[in-house]
Amino acid sequence: MADPHEEFLAEVQEIIEALSRDLLLLDQAQKDGNQQPDLVNEVFRGVHTLKGIAGMFGYQRLGALAHSLEDLLDDLRLGRVQLSQEVLDVLFEGVEGFQRLVGEGETPKMDLDAFAEAIEGVSASDSEPLDGREYDLEDAVLSVLTEYEEHRLRTNAAAGLGLFRLRVKFGLSSIDSDLESLKSRSADKAEIITYLPSADAAGDDSIELDVLLASSLGTGDLVSLFEVDASALRAVPFRAPPPPAPGPVVPVPVPAPVKTRDTMPPVAPEPSLVQQPEGISLRGVANSVRVDIRKLDHLMNVVGELAIVRASVTRLTERLRNEEETRRLASDLHRVGRTFERHLEELQTGILGVRMVPLGQLFDRLARIVRQFAREHDKEVHFSVTGSETEIDKLIVEELSDPMMHLIRNAIDHGIESPKVRELAGKDPIGTLALNAYQKGNHVVIEVDDDGAGMNERRLLETAGRKGLIAADSDSDMTREAILDLIFLPGFSTRSSITDVSGRGVGMDVVKTNINRLGGVIDVQSEYGFGTKFVITLPVTLAIINALILEVDGRPYAMPLASIQEAIVLDPSLLRTVEGREVITLRGQTLPLCRLAELFGSSRPRPAREYVVVCSAGARRLGFVVDALEGQRDIVIKALGPTLRDVRGFAGATDLGEQRVALVLDAPGLLEEVLRPAELPRLGATP
Amino acid sequence: MTDELLASDEASSTGSFAAEQTHDVLAFIIADEAYSFPLESIREILKHKPITPVPRAPQGVLGILSVRGTVTTIVDLRAMLRVHAQPATRHSRVLLVDQGDEIIGVLVDRVLQVVRLAPDEVEGTAMVSGDLSDYVAGIGRPRSGRGREAVDLLILLDPTAILRRSHGA
Repeated sequence: MADPHEEFLAEVQEIIEALSRDLLLLDQAQKDGNQQPDLVNEVFRGVHTLKGIAGMFGYQRLGALAHSLEDLLDDLRLGRVQLSQEVLDVLFEGVEGFQRLVGEGETPKMDLDAFAEAIEGVSASDSEPLDGREYDLEDAVLSVLTEYEEHRLRTNAAAGLGLFRLRVKFGLSSIDSDLESLKSRSADKAEIITYLPSADAAGDDSIELDVLLASSLGTGDLVSLFEVDASALRAVPFRAPPPPAPGPVVPVPVPAPVKTRDTMPPVAPEPSLVQQPEGISLRGVANSVRVDIRKLDHLMNVVGELAIVRASVTRLTERLRNEEETRRLASDLHRVGRTFERHLEELQTGILGVRMVPLGQLFDRLARIVRQFAREHDKEVHFSVTGSETEIDKLIVEELSDPMMHLIRNAIDHGIESPKVRELAGKDPIGTLALNAYQKGNHVVIEVDDDGAGMNERRLLETAGRKGLIAADSDSDMTREAILDLIFLPGFSTRSSITDVSGRGVGMDVVKTNINRLGGVIDVQSEYGFGTKFVITLPVTLAIINALILEVDGRPYAMPLASIQEAIVLDPSLLRTVEGREVITLRGQTLPLCRLAELFGSSRPRPAREYVVVCSAGARRLGFVVDALEGQRDIVIKALGPTLRDVRGFAGATDLGEQRVALVLDAPGLLEEVLRPAELPRLGATP
Repeated sequence: MTDELLASDEASSTGSFAAEQTHDVLAFIIADEAYSFPLESIREILKHKPITPVPRAPQGVLGILSVRGTVTTIVDLRAMLRVHAQPATRHSRVLLVDQGDEIIGVLVDRVLQVVRLAPDEVEGTAMVSGDLSDYVAGIGRPRSGRGREAVDLLILLDPTAILRRSHGA
């Protein structure tokens, strides 16, 4: 059984993600001037559920926050508060707060009192009545309506929409699907306010309902929309304005819609989110299972073991093949082995597939941050996302969150200019920040692309020089890429004033390190005045990677192929020494070398023939000198135990079978370790 | 006297040697001395297999071994017990010891047997030199005549303390 507390955390995370999505849709709807009563309801329900489970698990502060938000949302859906950007700010902040409260331990990470004040600021002072128009419904009907339904009636009346009563008769056995079809027919053309049991008693196996719906369509259109008999649909007239005279009430005919405005524009990208809110959570629960990722790791281990068993069977088969009397048996066994192998591969692919999640999960969270930062910094940002269906290992998504957040903050803070500046530069005052994801072979590429100010090479060089990151005269021989890469150096930050957005003590070097740790690479392209694009290339999964098996000091090691540029035989005549470090010249470029055996403390004499494995991380290259190359293969990386986790240079280990275990080299880490000491004192300030 | 020592030791140790209980321990030999781990901490006894050394690992770590797909760290207690290394023999075994947050392999020269110790067969750590005592939980003095190989003195090791030791190194 899964740990109930973990289940709770997972559920909270799901709710928070759904809330973010809904709030973003609401935000868009508010900007477009639309009403989305169903969305407000959806958010209300989400917060309500959160309050309930927070109480069950003793998260009192989380519960309290949910409770206060719930009040605000209730006001919102009852029309006591109008949806505005200010209200949305508070709602977004609330959702952000949920996230923080879930993670908070003993030390509070959120000031609930301050937030309560923020809510107070936007809450209903006293409900002002909407305009006085009302539908002429009999008291019997009015008395059974909920406060929310009354509110929807008032809102629709104020908008001048017509109100209709639709008489429908559903079989008891098919009522669910009949209601669904009714809802989908009304979709964006009519809003169903409520269902009333019909006054006429229905038969045993059927039920008659009076559906109260508001629409801008006329009676004729609705009759054909719902494919009902004209007699089943009745328009409810408006009630005459109350006071004028107590004379005979003249029924006002249903007016033609005041303006033909869609109450539900076809804006929603995910229609299921906007309509039929009841069905969503149920469907979600029925078709998916939450699995602890450790269980998948275990299954992956078993597959790895099976692959080793398979290799032993192959060896035994070979032995049988060499004997005259068992040759027939050997070829039978070989066929069986092939089938086994095929199914094993399927199993492996299947398990890897389960670990995959769409990047959309991460992008939704980021969209929230884009909105928040754009508002805090008075920037107008259009956030566009493509490829959110691209799948990547769950563990990678988790680790990507921080670096991506940082890139996005940077883009809004440093990249995209204020609307005024943009207009002066002849650009659209609304900046564009695009996240594009796509799969490329065994890698996933994520681009963070803004059309902001871009990077100024001169200023980058000045800053790097001032901070002693490069020699003062080194600008002449630096390529444009090399200059842009300066931003990834530790201690580099072009802003002199530290803003609360990007300058939280972490720089691009941390982003780079985090991405390297995932076996990924980050590159930057930028054009001064036109924008900046970061391109992140990541492996699809960390569970299985393609690696080169090599030998150092008589032992096998695995180097992930993703880090390798090429492997060559070391020609001793090309060896030179620069500042005590061995280098060779490879295709006109100097390549620093690192003898792995010596780095690992071996004092054995060097073998006659050696190889160089050229690795890169970002713009840096290093050649690892090794004793032999064994060939490439897919490996399953296993984590080292806690005792060895702090040992530098290794990303894990892998079982090669035949009782051989190879350490997996951490190429980006080794590059960092070997190259860094040489790079820093380059200014000439030798101690 | 013995009882007093035991009582004071008990208060400060992990509490795995409560006075009124009997203790089952697995006895083994390292460099001709008999040691033991609590039986409940032993997960498995493996025949000696080639161990992959890990360059730059903390002192006392021999390397890693794949135990049914899980990479397991193997330690050599010799370095901690300050006895000289010896080559592995056909009697060498790896004990998989559960140390709380990690299962660690401990290389031993020979596994003896399970010994049941009565409360009065356990002594506190005052006898042992100060440097050893943080991973020595006590001394077992089984009354002779039991088992195939009679052991009359056993050093009782605390597995969790050994893990702390190899982290710190």
